[in-house]
Amino acid sequence: MSKIFVYAEVVEEGIAEPSLELIGRARELADKHGFSVSAMLVGFGVRKLADELIYRGASEVHVVDNEVLSKYNLLFYTRAIVEVVENEKPDIFLFPATTTGRELAPRVAARLGTGITADCTAIEIGDYVDPITGKKYEKLLYQIRPTFGGTIMAAIVTPNHRPQMATVRPGVYSVPPRDTSRSGRIKEWTIDFSEEDVGCLEVLEVKRERRKVDLRSAKIIVSGGRGARPEGFKLIRELAELLGGEVGASRAAVDAGWISYDHQVGLTGQTVKPDIYIAVGISGAIQHVVGMKDSKIIIAINKDPEAPIFRIADYGLVGDLFVIIPKLIERLKVAKS
Amino acid sequence: MVTVNSKQNPSSERLNIVVLVKPVPDPKEPPKFKPDGTLDRLSMKLVMNPYDKYAVEAALQLREALGGIVIGVSMAPPHAIDALREALAMGVDEFILLSDPRLAGSDTLATSYALSMVVKKLWSKLGKVDLVLCGVESSDSNTAHIGPEVAEWLGLPSVSYVDKILEVSGGYVKVKKLIEGGYMVIRVKMPAVLTIAGTSYTPRIPTLRDVITARRKQITTLNADDVSIDTSKVGLLGSPTRVIKMWAAEIKRRGKIFTDTDIDRLIDNFLAELRKDGVKLK
Ligand SMILES: Cc1cc2nc3c(=O)[nH]c(=O)nc-3n(C[C@H](O)[C@H](O)[C@H](O)COP(=O)(O)OP(=O)(O)OC[C@H]3O[C@@H](n4cnc5c(N)ncnc54)[C@H](O)[C@@H]3O)c2cc1C
Ligand SMILES: Nc1ncnc2c1ncn2[C@@H]1O[C@H](COP(=O)(O)O)[C@@H](O)[C@H]1O
Repeated sequence: MSKIFVYAEVVEEGIAEPSLELIGRARELADKHGFSVSAMLVGFGVRKLADELIYRGASEVHVVDNEVLSKYNLLFYTRAIVEVVENEKPDIFLFPATTTGRELAPRVAARLGTGITADCTAIEIGDYVDPITGKKYEKLLYQIRPTFGGTIMAAIVTPNHRPQMATVRPGVYSVPPRDTSRSGRIKEWTIDFSEEDVGCLEVLEVKRERRKVDLRSAKIIVSGGRGARPEGFKLIRELAELLGGEVGASRAAVDAGWISYDHQVGLTGQTVKPDIYIAVGISGAIQHVVGMKDSKIIIAINKDPEAPIFRIADYGLVGDLFVIIPKLIERLKVAKS
Repeated sequence: MVTVNSKQNPSSERLNIVVLVKPVPDPKEPPKFKPDGTLDRLSMKLVMNPYDKYAVEAALQLREALGGIVIGVSMAPPHAIDALREALAMGVDEFILLSDPRLAGSDTLATSYALSMVVKKLWSKLGKVDLVLCGVESSDSNTAHIGPEVAEWLGLPSVSYVDKILEVSGGYVKVKKLIEGGYMVIRVKMPAVLTIAGTSYTPRIPTLRDVITARRKQITTLNADDVSIDTSKVGLLGSPTRVIKMWAAEIKRRGKIFTDTDIDRLIDNFLAELRKDGVKLK
């Protein structure tokens, strides 16, 4: 049976959620089109996480557990994955489009000499007829993604090279339920890393904040960016409270230390889909937009009429947030009483 | 092809830096399509990929601190020259434009192979290349693949999403890399490939004088044969991936923009519109 491989990224808490989402999606596609689902687990002391992958939908887990993998090392990880792939010959290999997936997957793809599509927002299985040769291919991976800064969608296939590879955007598929009655096969690999250049790439320090606030269930989110500054966040909090919503932020605001990472929306933060998303002093960089563009209604407040955020807004208020928000709060309070 | 500036300090840390710069259709203009639905790249004005300005800035700061040379490399159609002038005006020493109709339709694997062959050529000319810097991603393809893939073709270590280059010493480069919820500090042996995420670099804005000086700087155009590219590995047929369909993304946004210098009226109009559309803020 043709195999779908999914890269199981490990973070402090265990298997990273975007990888579980992919296991779930792979399971759906596999059941419908007759594939099997295997997870690829790499790290040190990670063997114990294999069951979790099975409970979520994998029927097989390939484990490379080695002390040299205790810290994420792009070169060692690439080596481990490529060796398993060369032996197991999966048909499809999916990675989460996290910062790790998006650097690891293209290295693996290039070493294997195969194609890869970045940051897919949908993956499907379908047929393809090559317009040049007339050759028909069955059950290829349709790699569907936005391009051109989100204005164009493209469907991409990899007809002649294996595995067909893609990174898939976190949050587009949901985490599958945990079914502890599921069973599967765990295969452990021993890989010789002695040929690798040991001092070549070394992680000296990792600082990763764990997320304590879950913005995904919020109905209203008021988010602040670099334009808000610390004073603006006071207003943003007040507005959020008045509306019964949560506070979000751009990475620029988080990096500036005005608010904790828990609140960050975007590529390296959370993907949110509230009924109403109010972006305040946020320019609308693609890395922010991917995390909030599926909100039902987007309201933007920005003093720059050219800010890209206005291109995806339902309602845009052009002006100084320090003038607009206090007024808005005042009006909403009046309406309330 | 390569000029060496004698004013620079002769220390061993002098760096030969290659910056990969992608000429892209101006992101501020709407994309144009051919009748068959594919992008009409040739009719779109090309500018320097905005993200690559951070990589150029990082390269220039390293050159200023340690001495050395910064060479830009692009793979693009011939009308990309104007976009390259932007990078030269910022301070890049010279440019190589790899341009060949046989490269058209290359996907990321094929593009990274072609670019790696240019880097190899430079390597043998210069005796060494210490760093290859890329932008974090291109504004037209947004894949972020080219950096790690070029590194793979060259057999070099790479770090993607570099926020800042912290230190260069003893043949190693120490970088801060962005990750979910924070950062990593990574030490990498040079030569290495880094993709620059940008948040810590503010790209310099060229003066008129820089723009004029840039006109005299050298742009060398090379074709696939000049850098020994195996043409079976590039172009549409050399690319593992195929685009089977493209369509305009559905943006179902209302796009109601309120601009009014009278703040009360601005808020009034906005709230009235919300009521009209049946949107409740609470
Ligand atoms: C690998 C990587 C991952 C990233 N991940 C994320 C992520 O998860 N989330 C994220 O958000 N970003 C992320 N980024 C960063 C992203 O590229 C942008 O730098 C960031 O989103 C910009 O934040 P901002 O819009 O708040 O700031 P800016 O782009 O500086 O915009 C500030 C805006 O505020 C407006 N403004 C200023 N003053 C006022 C005022 N008084 N009133 C009204 N408007 C005002 C300005 O007009 C401007 O549009 C990532 C980048 C990289 C490279
Ligand atoms: N055709 C190209 N010529 C030169 N550099 C490129 C080219 N394509 C991509 N790059 C580099 O690779 C980075 C990532 O691009 P991409 O993989 O297309 O998102 C860009 O920011 C550039 O630094």
